Amino acid sequence: MPIQGVRTVTTARNGVGAFILQCKQLDFHYCDWAGSSRGMVSYLKHQLPAFAKANPQIEIRVSPRPNKHPVIRGLFINGREKVICVRNLEPGAIIKKVNLLKEASGEKLKRTTKPVTSINESVRGIWSPYHGGIKSV
Amino acid sequence: MRPSLRLLNLEVPSLQGPRALYVCSGCRQEARPRPIVARQFLRHASNADSLSERVRRKIWGTDNPPGVEDPYGGQGALERKFKNQQAQKQEQAPEPAPVEDLPLVDDSYEPATTWKGLERIGHLDRWNDAPRTEVDTYESFSLKKKIYKKGPLNLAAHQTAVEICMMHALDKPLLSICSVAEHEKPVFKMIWKCKIQPNGTWDKALEYPNQEAEKSLVYIFEQIGGQPAAPVAEEAAAEQTEEDTEALELVDFNEPVSQTPIAPFFGYQDARDPGCLTLPLTDADTKFAFLKRFSQLTGHYFPDPVIHQISTVQQAVAYVQGELKPKPKKLAEHLAENEGLQGMPNVKIFGKRRTTLHKDDEMGRKKIIEAELRARGLL
Repeated sequence: MPIQGVRTVTTARNGVGAFILQCKQLDFHYCDWAGSSRGMVSYLKHQLPAFAKANPQIEIRVSPRPNKHPVIRGLFINGREKVICVRNLEPGAIIKKVNLLKEASGEKLKRTTKPVTSINESVRGIWSPYHGGIKSV
Repeated sequence: MRPSLRLLNLEVPSLQGPRALYVCSGCRQEARPRPIVARQFLRHASNADSLSERVRRKIWGTDNPPGVEDPYGGQGALERKFKNQQAQKQEQAPEPAPVEDLPLVDDSYEPATTWKGLERIGHLDRWNDAPRTEVDTYESFSLKKKIYKKGPLNLAAHQTAVEICMMHALDKPLLSICSVAEHEKPVFKMIWKCKIQPNGTWDKALEYPNQEAEKSLVYIFEQIGGQPAAPVAEEAAAEQTEEDTEALELVDFNEPVSQTPIAPFFGYQDARDPGCLTLPLTDADTKFAFLKRFSQLTGHYFPDPVIHQISTVQQAVAYVQGELKPKPKKLAEHLAENEGLQGMPNVKIFGKRRTTLHKDDEMGRKKIIEAELRARGLL
C-alpha cells in the first residue's frame, strides 16, 4: 500500500493571520509656482494614480501649499505622523520616499539590540536545543 | 597743569591757617579767578585769532602753519545745516531763480542719446531742489489700463493696420504714427469705416469708404511725421478738404494729446471689418511698427521671443487675448480632470491650502468651537 501524505488544510503563515497596513493616510503638499516642487508635480501627475490604485487602504490627499517646499505627510494608526520634505527631488526619488512612509510602522526609529522585541518579554529567554539541562548523554 | 600738582599748591597754605578757614580744594579752584586764556578759548577755529590757531602758529613758527586749520572738525552738523538753510533762504528771497536761465533751456543744448563720452549721467545739479519743468512731467507711452476685451482689441488692430497701410502708401516713416496718441472722433470714424482686403499687401490693402474720406485721411496723414514733400500739393489738398476740415476740427498732430477720453475708441465696440487679421507681419520694419502702435493703443507689451513668433496680425491679437501663451494650468485642475483619479474613493484633491479650520471641520470640532466662541461673545 503506497504511503500517502497528509493533505494540508491551512497554509502556514508563520503565525501571521492578518496584516493591517500601519499607514492610513498620505498627504501630498506642493507649490504650483516654486521650482523645488517640479519633481513632486510630475510625480502627482504621472505616478500617483498607479500608487493610489495599488494601495486602496491608504487615504491620499493632495493639496497645494503655496510658497513652501513640497512635503509628504504620513499619518499612522498609532496616532503618530511622519513628514518628509521632498524639495528638488526627482519623481523616482519621491517614489522611494512614499514607499518608505507606506511601509513604516509609525513608531519612532530606535536601535534593535535584542533578537526578539515584545511588549511582554520572557524571563526565560529563547529556547535553544543546545542549552539547558542535559540529563543523559 | 597736572591735577596732583595743582591740588598740592592749593592745599599747602590751608594747612598753615586756622582750621575754621579751611576751604576744600574744589571750592578754592572754583573761587579762583579764571585765566583770560580760558575765556578766549573756542572749540573750533572759525576765526583766525582763536587759541588753537595761535598755538599752531607758535609751534610752527610761521603765520601759515601747515595741516588742518581746525583740528576738531569745524562746526557741528546741525550748525552747518542751519547756516546752509539760512544762506539758501537769503539767496532765494531776492531772486526766485528763473527757469529760463537754466542751461537746460539753452538753444545750444542738445540732449545726449547715448552715454558715450559723458562725464556724468543724470542731472548736473541737485535735481530735487529745482522746480518742476515740462521735461519732468512723465506721460506713459501706452494706456494706463490694459484692454482685454475682444471687441476693443479688434478695433485697435484695425486702427493700427489702417494707419500702417496709410503710412506705407504715403511712403512715410512708419513709426511716426506713434506720435499721435489719439485721433479725433471724426478721423477715427473714417478709419473705422475703412476696409482692408484680406491677404493683401500693406501698401495696397486699404479700401476707403469713399473719395472724400480718402482725401481727408491722406491729408491728415500727410501731416504726420514731418512736413509734406510738395507744398503746392499741400495747398491743393488743403483747398480740397477745407470743407471737411471745418467739420472735423483737426487736431495738431505734433502735440500728443494728454487727455484720454472716458470711453476708449469713442464708444465703438468692435471692428467693422476683420480683414486686417490676415495681413502678414513678415517684414521686420512693418512688424515692429505695427506692434509698437498696437501696444500703444492696447497697453500690452510684446516680449522679444513673442515678437519673433508672431508672423500675422491675427497672432498678435491672439497673444494679447492670451491664446498664444495661456496661463499655466494649476496642478489641482489638472488632477481634477484626470479620469484615473476621479473614480478612486481613496483620493481627495483640494484646490486650496488646507488649514486647521478645515481639520476642525472634518473632525467635528468646528461647531463646538463656534458655539463656545458665541457663548463668550467673541463671534
